[in-house]
Amino acid sequence: MRKITMREAIIEGLHEEMERDDQKVLFGEDVGKFGGINAITRGLYERFGGERVFDTPIAESTIVGAALGMAITGLRPIPELQFGDFVGIAFDEVFNKLGKWRYMHGGTMEVPVTLRAPIGMAGGAGPEHSQSPQALFMHAPGVHIAIPSTPYDAKGLLKTAIRDNNAVLFFEHKLLYDTKGEVPEAEDEYLIPLGQADVKREGSDVTIIATALQVQTSLQAAEKLANEGIDVEVIDPRTLAPLDKETLLSSVQKTGRVLIVHEESKTGGSGAEIAAQISEEALFDLEAPVKRIGSPDVPIAQSLHLEPYYRPSEKQITDAVHELLEY
Amino acid sequence: MAEVYQKDIQLDDYSKEDLVTFYREMVKIRKFDENLIRLMHEGKVSGFYHSGIGSEGLSVGSIVKNLRDEDYLYYNHRGCNQKIAKGVPLSKLYGDFLGTVEGTTRGLGAGIVHSADTSRGVLGQAGTIGSQFNIAVGSAYSAKLQNTNRVTVVYFGDGAASREPLHGSLNWAGLYNLPIIYICENNEYAISSRWDETHSVREHIADWAWGYGISNCVVDGNDVLLMNEVTKEAVDRAKRGEGPTFIEAKTFRHRGHFEGDTYDYVDQEELKDWKENRDPIKNFKNLLLENNICVENEFTRVDEEVDQEILEAIAKAESSPMPDEKRIYEGLFA
Ligand SMILES: Cc1ncc(C[n+]2csc(CCOP(=O)(O)OP(=O)(O)O)c2C)c(N)n1
Repeated sequence: MRKITMREAIIEGLHEEMERDDQKVLFGEDVGKFGGINAITRGLYERFGGERVFDTPIAESTIVGAALGMAITGLRPIPELQFGDFVGIAFDEVFNKLGKWRYMHGGTMEVPVTLRAPIGMAGGAGPEHSQSPQALFMHAPGVHIAIPSTPYDAKGLLKTAIRDNNAVLFFEHKLLYDTKGEVPEAEDEYLIPLGQADVKREGSDVTIIATALQVQTSLQAAEKLANEGIDVEVIDPRTLAPLDKETLLSSVQKTGRVLIVHEESKTGGSGAEIAAQISEEALFDLEAPVKRIGSPDVPIAQSLHLEPYYRPSEKQITDAVHELLEY
Repeated sequence: MAEVYQKDIQLDDYSKEDLVTFYREMVKIRKFDENLIRLMHEGKVSGFYHSGIGSEGLSVGSIVKNLRDEDYLYYNHRGCNQKIAKGVPLSKLYGDFLGTVEGTTRGLGAGIVHSADTSRGVLGQAGTIGSQFNIAVGSAYSAKLQNTNRVTVVYFGDGAASREPLHGSLNWAGLYNLPIIYICENNEYAISSRWDETHSVREHIADWAWGYGISNCVVDGNDVLLMNEVTKEAVDRAKRGEGPTFIEAKTFRHRGHFEGDTYDYVDQEELKDWKENRDPIKNFKNLLLENNICVENEFTRVDEEVDQEILEAIAKAESSPMPDEKRIYEGLFA
């Protein structure tokens, strides 16, 4: 199969979905002629024109609020936030409106919004341009949360998100944009359902549940551990909401040992919820307490010299797996 | 709507010392920036950098003779122009970029945003541009309540002016008659978007201030003396208790939005015109030469002194250590 980058996969997904009907609109800061600061919206303005693909003022709450208003009146907006951290600016719109508008007004409206936002530490961007805010929205009923780790997943999930009649927050880790992976040719269309985890590596000793960039780090750690004869299973939930509990729990049943790895800060990260669900439903399958690795519970320093102290490392993962096995 | 600020400025009204100070501060800002870009190319700097080259006159004119250490400043995310004009030591700014403990953040690192120097009234800047609008009315409110006659000045780009908090902030400033000065550094572009593609005002961004009953004007931001005069009037007004002012200062970036930006979305002729004919430093230097206030080698001497000052600042910042891991756990709570 051909290999393309996650950036190329997302661009393809956007083009294909924009092509399907003219009610899809894509907007955000510098997404038009410029093609987006991460070059994710390249070529869309040229192909679909300035009414469907447009640069907005720097006004994130208006971007998300307007997307909601468009969605309940028949359009299918695909807004972009330049950085995932900016959900803070549009917090009311994301947290209080996207997921609740339909429900609180009795359930007759549909909110087909796909809000894309790049997340994660990359290159010393500091405390307000490096965060991974996805877990906040596990606490916001009514929104879906997609967080792909491979080009294949990114394209398949994005296409599904855009076709879904509910709001989907689509988080893209910046350090994954240039990573390559197998993706079917454009004519071989595929979709990945929301709420379906993917077993990235099968194993029988320990289950690692990881998201975004940490799926890659976990897979590398698993290779190292394989050399020592330790057989690690790596599962990527791919969407945090809905969360594919079945796949996670059946792996836990098999291995009895669980490590959750994410770049979000540890306290209140998505791992907290996943660990709680495992302890509620699979406590007696466990041979050891669930372990979690996240970044420290402090703002992310800008210094590139300090950044590695925040990002979970292969060594932290292999150490934690050893501890789980020795428990 | 907003009027273009003009004034027949008499050079005689300025001491030679003040004029040379304006020149020196502008050169300092430019050379600081050029050297920082060099350090970036050497791979020593974290994150992105938005060069402030081409707009030095705006900050030097508005700050150097008008603001005291006790006046509050929220700087823009472009260059270190305002921080330098307000007197933040260069070694501390370089220290923030290099991530050494010499920096104002004692090694956490800061880019343009997140340096602070409370001893000089420099209260920081949001990484989310435009989020300083609301914070700024808070410090202006403090000054009013505490009767300190401190003025708050908030800088922001044309792009940041499209953030919603500008309007909330202007409303407060007008309503409570706050001692605050808004200085919009209108360099026409916000990354790739021209201001008239993203703002509903057709003539001037300053026109928005009218709706809030706030004095406003548009000024040539590359004329350091005009910037000094217009800001002086605004500062005096604030100190007299006559409330806020909105100044839209026109300028242009010489470099792209960030280092590495292709900068191919601007009209190259326009850019050339700004660089060649509207450079604040070049024009001011010519003005002083033409009026026989300075001779060429006086400028050369200033340039050399500034070069020396910058090299020393970099050496100080670079020789300072980077912190160890413990640093990230310090300072979260008072
Ligand atoms: C709230 C927010 N939105 C977007 C960004 C990303 N961003 C950083 S600078 C910038 C453009 C700012 O333009 P302007 O205010 O005109 O200042 P200039 O860069 O032209 O000096 C953008 C969109 C940000 N940092 N914060």
